[in-house]
Amino acid sequence: MEQMVQGILVVNTETIPGMMITETLGVVSGSTVRAKHLGKDIFAGLKNIVGGELSQYTELLQESREEAVGRMVADAMSRGANAVVNVRFATSAITAGAAELFAYGTAVKAE
Amino acid sequence: MVDVGGLLVLGIILVILLPFLLLALIGMLWTVAYPLMLCWAVLFSGKKLDQQIASTASREASLRESLGRDPLTTIDGGYRTDITSCGVVWSGVVFGPSHWHLLIGWINNLTGGSVDIFQKVVSAGRAEAMQRLREKALAEGYEDVINVRIDTSDMTPQGARKSIKAVEIFAYGTGVKYT
Repeated sequence: MEQMVQGILVVNTETIPGMMITETLGVVSGSTVRAKHLGKDIFAGLKNIVGGELSQYTELLQESREEAVGRMVADAMSRGANAVVNVRFATSAITAGAAELFAYGTAVKAE
Repeated sequence: MVDVGGLLVLGIILVILLPFLLLALIGMLWTVAYPLMLCWAVLFSGKKLDQQIASTASREASLRESLGRDPLTTIDGGYRTDITSCGVVWSGVVFGPSHWHLLIGWINNLTGGSVDIFQKVVSAGRAEAMQRLREKALAEGYEDVINVRIDTSDMTPQGARKSIKAVEIFAYGTGVKYT
């Protein structure tokens, strides 16, 4: 996985299975606001009439979340951590077609 | 000289007007497309939703059958101690009711009680998100997903009346590998 390549382990459990947390380095977070271009918004609007999945927005949120997690991992790296535990995600819609994604967790050193 | 200047002025006017022309075109297209799409929704959206539910259920059943268990658990830390590697996995689905379903829901809302159509739409989305989480975790080489959390967030901003009506179902957890 992407996070593993950068040398940071990301989990949403309070402990890391098979490892001991030796030091906590505070809360790290990453957030992003992204939008799709007008054409995709219009297409999603049309698709919304017939219902079902809006794959444009699924894709948008997937990309945004990757970016948010990437920023969180960068924050953790700058603090000298090697893992982020207890990661939580929050989403909020700002306007139609733009979503804010927020990822946060605790940076730790683990052995 | 006059000709070139005239053309330039015409060009500038066109460039300024272009966004408005484009908006008008989109508006016209919308007026034509909306009734057609609504007719399609009235006729087929219920069937489409049933198909979606059936396809998710069959994928889930075949995955469960091949593994012999459900890889998702909500237990924090899992129930086994022989975990060798872990990492976060997530999946999200943006899922919305059709405008026909919105109308049914609105009528249902007048009489009160449980609004079954919205329950059906949202749980179809949720089942799909969970199934994608299972598939994604297995594709990344994990055997189980522990500490699974499922969030539902509204894609429609507060106070916006003319926007898409959809919810995002987001499922995440920690993928684990055993020895």
